[in-house]
Parts: sequence; structure tokens; C-alpha cells
Amino acid sequence: MRRKQVLQGNIIVAKAALAARCNFFAGYPITPSSEIAQFMSRELPRMGYDFIQMEDEIASLGACIGASLSGRKVLTATSGPGFSLMQEHLGMAVMAEIPLVIVNVMRGGPSTGLPTKPSQSDIMQARWGTHGDHPIIALYPAFADEIYSETIRAFNLSEKFWNPVIILLDEVLAKAHEDIELPRKNDIHIYKEKIHRIKDLNIYDREIGENPPRVDFFKGYPIHIDGLEHDKHGWPTSDPETVNKMQTLRMQKIYHYLDEIVKFKEYYMEDAEIMIFSFGVSARSSLAAVKMAREQGIKVGLFQALTIWPFPKIPLKERFKQIKKVLTVELNMGQTKYEIERISLDDVEKKALLRANGIPFTPNEVLDKIREF
Amino acid sequence: MKPLSVRIGGFGGQGIILTAIILGTAAVKKGNLYAVQTQSYGSEARGGECQAELIISDKPINSPTTEYKDIFVALFQSALDKYLITLKKKGTLIVDPKLVTKIPSIEANIYQVPATETAIKLGNRIAANMVVLGFLQKFIKMISKEDLREVITSMVPKKFIDINLKAFDAGVHFAEDLEITMEDIG
Repeated sequence: MRRKQVLQGNIIVAKAALAARCNFFAGYPITPSSEIAQFMSRELPRMGYDFIQMEDEIASLGACIGASLSGRKVLTATSGPGFSLMQEHLGMAVMAEIPLVIVNVMRGGPSTGLPTKPSQSDIMQARWGTHGDHPIIALYPAFADEIYSETIRAFNLSEKFWNPVIILLDEVLAKAHEDIELPRKNDIHIYKEKIHRIKDLNIYDREIGENPPRVDFFKGYPIHIDGLEHDKHGWPTSDPETVNKMQTLRMQKIYHYLDEIVKFKEYYMEDAEIMIFSFGVSARSSLAAVKMAREQGIKVGLFQALTIWPFPKIPLKERFKQIKKVLTVELNMGQTKYEIERISLDDVEKKALLRANGIPFTPNEVLDKIREF
Repeated sequence: MKPLSVRIGGFGGQGIILTAIILGTAAVKKGNLYAVQTQSYGSEARGGECQAELIISDKPINSPTTEYKDIFVALFQSALDKYLITLKKKGTLIVDPKLVTKIPSIEANIYQVPATETAIKLGNRIAANMVVLGFLQKFIKMISKEDLREVITSMVPKKFIDINLKAFDAGVHFAEDLEITMEDIG
């Protein structure tokens, strides 16, 4: 039997990042994510790698982009205000197709908001915070073991698809100390990409639906990385045909692989007449509520999203063929509620339990809402 | 076992969160149980409102927070005023009489533990939380005094181990003469 440990959520993220062979961190500490930076500042230099505390979050993500291009596996951690500052470089990373992992331990907003209180209100910012049409992957763990496994998955996905991956984490879970059994090193799957030798500088050249090739930087070939729309060589262009192709390439490298990227868990769904859609700490309260409701004979199940972007549209649409009652539980004023409304037909009765005052839902509050159906 | 939920409330700097973490760690490492500790506090570095919650169970824990607590430790009047409604009927209320003077008449087992006064006598008032921990240990049968002493030793800064253990022992002493069964907890 493996010995259980008691670890704080933020520390689980940091430990998982190191297990995923993260070897660079640039950031600016901010509540409630600071322990991640603190842990990395101690551990990375000890391993011969780099930790940089930058002057702000824009610079932090800039440093991460540079480090990633030089072959490092990079992480930064922040909260809402810092995530707002990062949006410009997040777009740069999407455009130039640069793998990196950003943890956003959400707190109440907008602005400096509620620094020490939980909130699930950066979900739309994770999707559309940076300007322009773009693909994004955002993962949303709820249980301690998921914080670990999803952090590793975030690195794997970012490396495989050459795209930034965001981990959204709830303040309660980031600050909570919980028992966890860490997996053995051999049981952890780390994505290893093939390094392609650049022969003709076509660093963005591939077929639609294919992942971009990982290029071998710093081997004497001049390459061009740009935030401007570019051609297959990376050089700026506004040729409509090329622009269209590059936009499609970037979107399809993600949307061709939804089966692999979109992950969710289901509880008590086999015979459910009511489905709760939730994630993070709200999914945990919901699961407790589902168990209580089941004891009372209410046929309710839980759909817990682990990947929040791309939205689990296909599996949810499938569920709506049978289940005609859905309850969205989220600590915001209704962000994924609208996504649910978009993908469910009129014959589905929709309710939502929403709150944005810094207090997580108790199982009883969710149960009361279930009973309203 | 029924899951046990504990809340410790007071102000920042009293070691409230650490107390809950130590108790949770002992439950996991020594009692082979599941535990989740959560907290809430203000933006102040020190002195603001602070409370920690702990759930201990022999089954994996879903919701990290519960509505009503079996045990509530109030280490400041404002914490008592705010959170008393979250104590279960016939639950256990532990207060520091130096910092909590007004207790409304309620259906609860109330214990007055002079934690701050004892810690001051022992040489450092910040060890008051360990007096509380020593007293609390009596209510949580799955964890022994020795287990907790071990976890304290592994978790507090070296130079404060001695004072912390002394304070812990004083808390244990306060609880020694009490006859407590699990039913008393609530």
C-alpha cells in the first residue's frame, strides 16, 4: 500500500508539474496561487533549472514563451488579475503555436475583487480573454488526484498540440489540504514528441487536422516566430488564402482531436432523469447532493466536466437525448449555463444554481435546488 | 464511522489553519482516514477574521465543506457570533474564556479552555492553538496523543517544538478528567 500524504492543492499542482518534467517557471506571485511559485522557486533551482520572478504577469508569460521556444517545459501560475494581464501574450502563444501551461487559481472578480475567496467566474475569460478567433484548451480538476493527473495532462496536451493549456482551479481546492496518494513515477504517462529536423524552414507546414511538427530550434537554422498572421515559413502575410488556411490549421489541430482532449466523469447517470452539470468544487458539493438525493429516491446524476474548453458539447448532446432535466451548478452568475442552453433543445427543462459571493455551495443547497424539479 | 466535522474560528495569527492541518494530517497518516481541511480568511496579513474547517471520515470525502459542524472551537468573540449557527444541535463548543465572554444559551456541550492564558504562562501566547489541539484530541478517538505529538514535531519550526509540545500537553491535561463519549460530540 502506498502511503497517503496530506498536500495543499497548489502544492499538488507544483509536484505534478515537476513529475511532467516542467523545467521552467516564470511568474508573479498572487493570492491564491502563490504557493505554486513559492514551491517552484525552491525546487527548480535545486534541480539545476530556472525560476524567474518577473515584474508582472505580462512579462511572466513573455518569459515563458521564450523559454518554451528554447525547448523548456514551462509553467506559470496566477489568479484573475494576473490572468487578465496575460491575455496579450496568451494570444501570441496561440498564434505562434507555443506550448505552455498556465494555472489560474480563480478568485472573486472583477478587478482585484475578492483575493481570498473562491469563484468560478474566469471560465469565459479562459475561452475568449484574448482577442481573435482561436482555439484553447482549459482543464478543470475537482478532486485532489485530478489536480495531479490533469496538471500532467495539461503538459501533455500543450506539447502534443502546440497550444497553451489553461488549468482552472478553485481557490477552496488550491488552499485546501487533502489526503492524496501520488502515483508511482512509472505509472505517469508523459507525452514525448518527435523532434523534426528543419530542412526547408517550413516550420508551420502540415496538413489540416495534423499537429504542427516540433522543430529543432537553435541548430543553426534561421526561423521566424511572429504574432502577425504568417505563412508556413512563419513570415508575416495577409494573403487571404494563406490566412484562411492558417486559421483553419490552428483550429483543426484541436477540433480534430476532441475525443482525446474532452474528458469528463459521470456519476449515477445510468438511470438519471435529472442531470447536474458542474465542475471543480461545485461538482464535489453536487456529488454529495446526488448521493443524498438518491437516498430519497430522486433519480439524479452528475456530469462533471474535466475539460471545460473545448466544451463537452458532443457527449452532453448525447445525454440530452434521454435526460430532459438539467441543473447547472456554478460559482458565477451563469457562464456555462449559457453553453448548456446553446446545446440543449427546448424540450429540456433547464435550471441553474448560481452564486458569486465567495461562498461555495453546500450539498444541502444543491439538494434543495434538485428538489425544485 | 460518521464523518466528523470541526470548525476552528478566530483571527489571523492564532495558528488556526495550522491546528486544522495538524489534526487532518494525523488523521490521514496515523489513523489511515480521509481528511479535507479548508479555510477562509480576509485579505489582511494578520489580524483579520480567520476560520478553518476540517472533515475526517473513513470514506473518501466529496464536498470539502459541510453545513453543520460537530465541533466548533471559538477563539474570538466575533468568530463565535458569526459561526455559532453552524454548530449542530447538541454539538460540542469549545471556547477560550479570555477571548470569548458572551455565550448565548444554546443546546450544546460547552467547554471553557483557558488556552491563551495557559500559553502565556508557558512563555508564548502563540502556542494557545496547541492547548486547544491537546484538548480536542480527547474528542477524536481515532488519533492518539502520541500520534499528534509526532505530527506536531514534524510540522512546526524546530525552535518552537518544545513550547508547542508543552502547550499541547497542557491541553491534554485539561481534558483528562472529562468523560466523553462519541455521542457527546453531536
